Amino acid sequence: MKSRIAFVAAASALTLLASGCGGTSSGSEDSNVLEFQTGQTVDSALMTTFTELTDQFKEEHPDIEVDLVPTTQSYEADMKVRLASGNVPDIWYTHGWSLLRYSEFLMPLDEEPWAENFNPALDSAMRNDDGQFFALPVDTDIAGVLYNGEVLEAAGVDPNDLDTWTDFTDAAKAVKANGVTPIYVSGKDNGPAGNVADWIAPGAFSDQELEKFSNGEFVEDGYSQILELVAQWREADYFNPDFASATQDDISRALSQGDAAFAFGQNDYAQNGLQYNPDADLGFVPVPNFEGGKKYLIGGEMNAYGIAKETNNPEAAKAYLAFLAQPENLSKLAAAAGSAPGLTNAEADLGVFQDSYETFVENDDLELKPYFDRVYLPNGMWNTMVTTTGAVITGQSDVQTAVNQMKTDFNSLYGQNK
Amino acid sequence: MTQLLTRKVATAAPSGGRPRKSRRGGIINVFYLPALLLFAIFMVYPLISGIGLSFTNWNGYSADRAFVGVSNYLRLFEDAVFRTALLNTFIYGIGCTIIQQILGLGLALVLDRRIRGRGIARTIIYLPVLVSPVVMGTMYYLLFQFNNGMLNDFVIFFGGERVAWLSNSTAAVIIIVLINSLQFMGISMIIYLAGLQSIPSMYYEASTLDGATGWKQFIHITVPLLQPAFAASIVLNLIGGLKLFDVIKVLTGGGPGYSSHSVSTLIGVSYFDNQSAGYASAMGVVLFLIIIVFTLILNAALDRHRLEA
Repeated sequence: MKSRIAFVAAASALTLLASGCGGTSSGSEDSNVLEFQTGQTVDSALMTTFTELTDQFKEEHPDIEVDLVPTTQSYEADMKVRLASGNVPDIWYTHGWSLLRYSEFLMPLDEEPWAENFNPALDSAMRNDDGQFFALPVDTDIAGVLYNGEVLEAAGVDPNDLDTWTDFTDAAKAVKANGVTPIYVSGKDNGPAGNVADWIAPGAFSDQELEKFSNGEFVEDGYSQILELVAQWREADYFNPDFASATQDDISRALSQGDAAFAFGQNDYAQNGLQYNPDADLGFVPVPNFEGGKKYLIGGEMNAYGIAKETNNPEAAKAYLAFLAQPENLSKLAAAAGSAPGLTNAEADLGVFQDSYETFVENDDLELKPYFDRVYLPNGMWNTMVTTTGAVITGQSDVQTAVNQMKTDFNSLYGQNK
Repeated sequence: MTQLLTRKVATAAPSGGRPRKSRRGGIINVFYLPALLLFAIFMVYPLISGIGLSFTNWNGYSADRAFVGVSNYLRLFEDAVFRTALLNTFIYGIGCTIIQQILGLGLALVLDRRIRGRGIARTIIYLPVLVSPVVMGTMYYLLFQFNNGMLNDFVIFFGGERVAWLSNSTAAVIIIVLINSLQFMGISMIIYLAGLQSIPSMYYEASTLDGATGWKQFIHITVPLLQPAFAASIVLNLIGGLKLFDVIKVLTGGGPGYSSHSVSTLIGVSYFDNQSAGYASAMGVVLFLIIIVFTLILNAALDRHRLEA
């Protein structure tokens, strides 16, 4: 009897031990089920399109199941934990980091049948020195400063005339005088505040200074110039007073409902705003520059999807991406993202952005600058950029303190990532 | 009486061989195994692993990492954000503990009396303890929101202008302290209620005969005899406050800027957002040591006070 009790206790302990030891295989155990981390919110236009296309894919491939997983607020952290633990999804959203962060976990896709149509505008952001790329680009992210045309018109501002930050600040003043919030930013979600600095940064540094960043030297003067502009806007009350509690969704809502004139973000900010006001007059203009500089566009990788190197379902995953890459499907996805397609054989109806694209992307000789943080700051700096800019927007930090924090983290992370 | 007890024990012990108690203990010890295993897997292993990581430059997900000695610990001394988070951690730990003791003891004293509805009142005060701090943080976020927050609705109703409650560092820290204190004061109340009910009424009766008033009874009878309850409540609340995470994460995200971060939330940011898992682990080790030291000092002080009492 006693030995039986001891046996039961020991068996319980071993069962617990065994249950704690999970497998480390990629994605679903079932070889016919693909886990697809979409990185999209449930009600986003892109998620809706993914759902429609996936239903069509399942009709053509009844033997393959695709589990579309919407994003969470901690998507990046979740992915890092899954990568560290070896529990990697079959396909996932790379949010601009397919090359610099995720390429060691992703299979190269440059041999896929659709790869010949890869948009060369994405080469610098997504291809490595060997010409490999690791994700299917749904869109080519080309962004500027988002605006609400009706608000600007009411304030007597022509968005095409915003060449410098002085012009932009004057426009903000006119909007403010009209009783509307000039610039809407979210401090609750991790990102929008960083966009403000990320958008201004490309014009704040000379080529030599950018080279210094690449060599591990933080250029304080240029970065101070960025945050001084932000501080100037804060002192003039150009930011939304609910910054600390506002979400990214609030930006979309405010912009589309005419409660704000400008927003710094990708086109999906405005695209999602159309759900609140389908008739909103939205568009984007090139990012203004400091005096003497030329305005520019910002771009690179945005909505791209890679396949895990260690997936149990490589053929099914490749078949699914190939289906999404078909011109008519990729066109729908790019239109839902509100951006130009990531493959050259697709076309997108850009909806409210059509005019902006025709004016500034197709017919204007503007430089497409890469996202500053991805190219010139070490991996892991984004959060510092978001937080320090947010601190200046709320007035909880002065410019010098914020710049010092950026410099400290830059030096630490550059040393760590070397 | 003593003889009787001795005889009973002698009868219970078997003649010759090992005492029965020791054999039963051997079997019972086997039952510790599952619990010990869980403790080892979920507490000891992560602790040792975390200490190991604190000496590396691991980014939190890559297969590559290198030994960097104590550089992560040295970096803590130079990091202004860590200093802010450490200060906030002490404010959360000590501030919440003080408020919870005052409110918990006060409520326990009131609800220990035979008043109408005390059962319902105890339940209502304890209920928030059962709510997840994440849910609690979200509820308060909706309360303090600028545009649709209930508090600003009141402000507007009374003719004021909307207030950005969470945009000010000091206000954010105070709000967090209050939310956490109000949520968990029920724990202190229950502990003190248990303590109050274990004090024999004869002490109060005797002191009343000696002419002691209510206040003197409280100081000379209630407080000394509540020492074990004080120890349990203070230590529990202090540890909870020093580890505060959920409410901050949901309500302010550590902002504005870095101003309301605790060490716990900063660990999350450093680990996942800044991709400095090694540095975050060093912070974790320091927080672990701080909590240990605080608890030991507090326990020693309370024990000494209890002996003196």
